[in-house]
Amino acid sequence: MIELAPIFVTLKLATITTLILLIVGTPIAWWLSNTHSRFKVIIESVVALPLVLPPTVLGFYLLLALSPDGFIGSIWGHISSTPLSFSFSGLVIGSVIYSMPFVVQPLQASFEMVGKPVQQAAYTLGATPFDTFKNIVLPLSRRGFLVAITLGFAHTVGEFGVVLMIGGNIPEVTQVLSIVIYDHVEVLEYTQAHYYSIGLLVFSFLVLFLTYSFNRKLMVRV
Amino acid sequence: MIRVSYKQQLNNFLLDVDFNLPDKGISVLFGPSGSGKTSVLNLIAGLSESDSLQRASLKINNNVIDDQANKIQLKPWLRNVAYVFQDHRLFSHLSVQENILFGYKRRDSELSPDDLIASFSISKLLEQYPAQLSGGQKQRVALVRALLSNPKLLILDEPLAALDYQSKQQLMPYIEEIHKALNIPIIYVSHDIKEVLRLADYIVVMDKGKIIDEGDIASLCIAQPLLTQQEGASFVLEGVVTKIIAEEKLVQINCGENILITAENMCLEQCVRVLIHARDVSLCLTPPKDSSILNCIAVCIDDVQSDKNGKLRVLAKLGEQTIVALISHRSAKLLNVEKGREMFAQFKATAMIK
Repeated sequence: MIELAPIFVTLKLATITTLILLIVGTPIAWWLSNTHSRFKVIIESVVALPLVLPPTVLGFYLLLALSPDGFIGSIWGHISSTPLSFSFSGLVIGSVIYSMPFVVQPLQASFEMVGKPVQQAAYTLGATPFDTFKNIVLPLSRRGFLVAITLGFAHTVGEFGVVLMIGGNIPEVTQVLSIVIYDHVEVLEYTQAHYYSIGLLVFSFLVLFLTYSFNRKLMVRV
Repeated sequence: MIRVSYKQQLNNFLLDVDFNLPDKGISVLFGPSGSGKTSVLNLIAGLSESDSLQRASLKINNNVIDDQANKIQLKPWLRNVAYVFQDHRLFSHLSVQENILFGYKRRDSELSPDDLIASFSISKLLEQYPAQLSGGQKQRVALVRALLSNPKLLILDEPLAALDYQSKQQLMPYIEEIHKALNIPIIYVSHDIKEVLRLADYIVVMDKGKIIDEGDIASLCIAQPLLTQQEGASFVLEGVVTKIIAEEKLVQINCGENILITAENMCLEQCVRVLIHARDVSLCLTPPKDSSILNCIAVCIDDVQSDKNGKLRVLAKLGEQTIVALISHRSAKLLNVEKGREMFAQFKATAMIK
């Protein structure tokens, strides 16, 4: 009937991807919101690419990059003996790139909302930039973080094209929910497809519902 | 002494200033909007982008803060220059109490938060958040927050500009309180002549990025056109309290001649500055015997100048000091007001004492 493995793989992938994205995306968003560098527009465009590119294009290039001779794959070869392509680790790398704009953009927007003036006030009161970031910028950006976490997580859960291209379809390793549904539909097992689909639908709704309610609460307090 | 010298190319003009300020009291940086006052403050606080800086030197009582020649440029968090902004810039996620202790926790301060909380009347606000406060309350909290960060210099950038008339009147005494609470120099930026005359001990006048005049308030408010040509132009008389008439709420002040001013809480022998509006002074040839105006003193006309508002500014000597009267051309003609003429100057006892 319903297999639990794809659900676990999906949740594990989304959680790890979101965590990595917070670690990688926060400095990128911070840099983008503060810099006057002429590279800003280039980096902004690169980060936003997954929004407009067909997932198959992204997946295709990732497949090349992750292969043992590819750019990422060859570096990986020095660290680990298992290849990246068609592995869970490869899937994580793909997801991080694919979901990047959904984390970086809300963070950048909320950092820009906090703005320089308030940070300057903190400086004149003796706070270093790190102190200011930790005690002023982060708490004032918590709604941005909430949105970033939700979108990053939900978008990774809903990922299909990229996973199909680089993850293969290995049960209990890289087989995620969206692919399982696709498999069932292909062999006309509509009942099973329904179970997974309705589950994903309800789950997504709940995540968004909880986020927006919590967001309102944050808004009322400030 | 505070030594300030900066040169920086800004977007629309060249900022080039070089001046000294006394190390106590309120020094006002005065000038029209867009004359570069806030840019100077940002340089002093270390908040400016330094890439277009051509000259930088800042010393507060022998502490070198900026010295471009020797590549010294202290970071803003190391300067101990506290800044009160026009737009308060309180931290909206922190309560009033957390806001005012933000700087206090980061620097050793000998000041007691409780004392300042009491003297700025914010004890009832401590648990509230900035969004719940009125404009005047926010600025009071911002002032206390700045003072508790143990500053060596306090700079205030038009802290009253965003407030309505009533809040301004309420906040002004608190600003005057500051140098009683803390013996530090204050730089106050304003383009409002009323604030300047009330608060300033020393004035630096700026226009288009340059210093065009500086000096103590008594001399500048007679000679500097940007101050004299304004609505509310005033002058200052310095003197000593010689008599207190408590039952009538009057004090007698000797500033060459004895004058009477409405005031309370003064003590004998106290040196005071009396601020009088030029439009409140009238001139007459003989002292009237039946006037409600208490002050009538003999003066000698020193100069008659045209005012851009179509009035005449009459400068008259009272001993070493100068009285300014704003009168109409017709009155001047009728009374034959001219240089060297002996006359009487009359004004009400409602001037302001500092």
